Amino acid sequence: MPEGKPINKLLVANRGEIAVRVIRTAREMGLKTVAIYSDADRGALHVRLADEAVHIGPPPARDSYLVAERILAAAGRTGADAVHPGYGFLSEKAEFNRACRDAGILFVGPSPEAQEAMGVKTSARKRMAAAGVPVVPGSDGPIADQAEAQAQADAMGYPVMLKAAAGGGGKGMKKCERPQDFPALWQTAKRESASAFGDDRIYLEKFLERPRHVEIQVFADRAGNTIWLGERECSVQRRHQKIVEESPSAVLDERMRQAMGEVAVKAARAVDYLGAGTVEFLVDAQRKFYFLEMNTRLQVEHPVTEMCTGLDLVRLQLEVARGLPVPRQDEVVRRGHAVEARVYAEDPARGFLPSPGRISYLRVPGGPGVRDDSGVYAGWVVPPFYDPMISKLLAWAPTRAQAIARLDRALGDYHVHGISTNIPYLRQVLRHPAFAAGDYDTGFCAEHQKELLVPPDPGYQEVALIAAAVAAFKRDHDEAEAFAARASAAQAGRSAWARAGRLRSLGRGLR
Amino acid sequence: MTAYVALLDGGKREEGVEVRALGPGLYEVRLAGKVHAVDAFRHDHGTLSLLVDSESHSVQLDQRASGMKVHLRDSVYSVDILDERRLRMRRSAGRFTVEGRQALAAPLPCRVVRVLRKPGDAVREGEGVVLVELMGMENEIRSPRDGKVVELLVQEGQAVEKDARVASVE
Repeated sequence: MPEGKPINKLLVANRGEIAVRVIRTAREMGLKTVAIYSDADRGALHVRLADEAVHIGPPPARDSYLVAERILAAAGRTGADAVHPGYGFLSEKAEFNRACRDAGILFVGPSPEAQEAMGVKTSARKRMAAAGVPVVPGSDGPIADQAEAQAQADAMGYPVMLKAAAGGGGKGMKKCERPQDFPALWQTAKRESASAFGDDRIYLEKFLERPRHVEIQVFADRAGNTIWLGERECSVQRRHQKIVEESPSAVLDERMRQAMGEVAVKAARAVDYLGAGTVEFLVDAQRKFYFLEMNTRLQVEHPVTEMCTGLDLVRLQLEVARGLPVPRQDEVVRRGHAVEARVYAEDPARGFLPSPGRISYLRVPGGPGVRDDSGVYAGWVVPPFYDPMISKLLAWAPTRAQAIARLDRALGDYHVHGISTNIPYLRQVLRHPAFAAGDYDTGFCAEHQKELLVPPDPGYQEVALIAAAVAAFKRDHDEAEAFAARASAAQAGRSAWARAGRLRSLGRGLR
Repeated sequence: MTAYVALLDGGKREEGVEVRALGPGLYEVRLAGKVHAVDAFRHDHGTLSLLVDSESHSVQLDQRASGMKVHLRDSVYSVDILDERRLRMRRSAGRFTVEGRQALAAPLPCRVVRVLRKPGDAVREGEGVVLVELMGMENEIRSPRDGKVVELLVQEGQAVEKDARVASVE
């Protein structure tokens, strides 16, 4: 493992809430920060917070946040000696990682070789199987031909999962229930994958019965010490994207947790991992666990682990990059329960259609045990070009029930005007009996769609009506008064000469 | 006294409301045959403390181009308040119905991935007519009624602006 080196100025190669998140810790550590922005993000919060900001191109990500040369040029121009990639965008692109190394800039993350080993999902599966880690049954590799793919799916038995070999974040991922749906889903998965990752290779996995998505946070330093920091349960997903995450998971006991932690450490060691990583597992109805993939970057839901361990994972990333050691495994103490809800600019009632636009009013919750990792402010226009997540809201409490009640309360204090958000939907998730009982799997949102999309409570409709009517009345009367006041002021202000001139031009008076 | 008509459920239901000012922030509101004493106190932008008879409510009013959203307790209500003049205008415009020819518009800037129905094809309410990609995910633009596709204005691969018409159904 190459030597670490000091960091003085950190370029954050990302946008939105994660750029803000990284800049906050960098500031606490006394580091200078550099933001990058596209035309759509000139007014973004991360640009406001950073010490320096460099424009890197037009709004589409492929012309800005995904262009490695522009980001390296920005680092060169500002003298940044390290790059934090955040999540998404270039965070798992080994070529970018390697280009940073070649330019003498420290990439905050694992080596490009480790990213390559885990980056293509199919080769990661092979490597993990060889290292003795259980993997989900599926195709050996990406399948080139649709007919061949369908034949394999038929042999495997439905339902099957179609997955992007270069994938992540639910893009290019489809569940196929019946053979007749296969051709259309195959085409959709290929297109989504090509446009999201520039790679349309698709492979198949057997769909496990009532699968739960449980992941283990790992951390490794340059001396090769590798620790695990507990699990996160991420089974509440809509369109294969996580929306509520919690730790600990209700499905694990201590023995199983220990076993998964050890397997995760083994997976990380198999690729000489460095820094923060996440090993994702599926846990089936028989509570057997299977390796799904390893994310070679900081995860969106990392604050869940931060709240349970008290550690700052971004600080730990930067320290490890500088060559400092990770804590010893027995120094990691997890306590209490943390739950995260992802607040999206979207309309759940319209198939989770994104709802970009101007935030006309914003008030965020506070109180004990509440954390809001946001990337927006009142007056900000959520652009239509990027992921519509605007914030992650977390609650911590000594017990699971208290943490859920606290997050529900905090979501009730979260006010966003001007755009639609999924806040009411998230509250229904937290209140659902299956969620409260911890008895849920990745099919939760689809299975309970009706109960989660509740219409407004008819009991308070009259009050809502009264409020709107009183506001309309006040507005109409204020307008009428302002008009009358202006009219009389104009009358009083006009001189007799001007009045005379006006009357003459109308052909009357003063003859 | 001012009489209003409130439109609920996206214009499907109407309800009459009368408001009379009694003093600063004090109103008498007649709704569904009942008279309520209302004390309204405006906090910051869009936030109203409302005492209806003696019940206390914190209400958020979110005025959008498409109408008013009222946030109250755990719910968000879509309410449009119209006076006589606006009600007449709306009635003569005859919008908000799903009878006759319906235009399907792009909800956001997007790219057409696939055309699912050709002109002349029958389509049921809620069925997709055009498949588009927006913000990295694929979504269907769906028909608001049972009928027939009478017009198709886009091709596969085409970029479409927000609110642009993509098809018509009759």
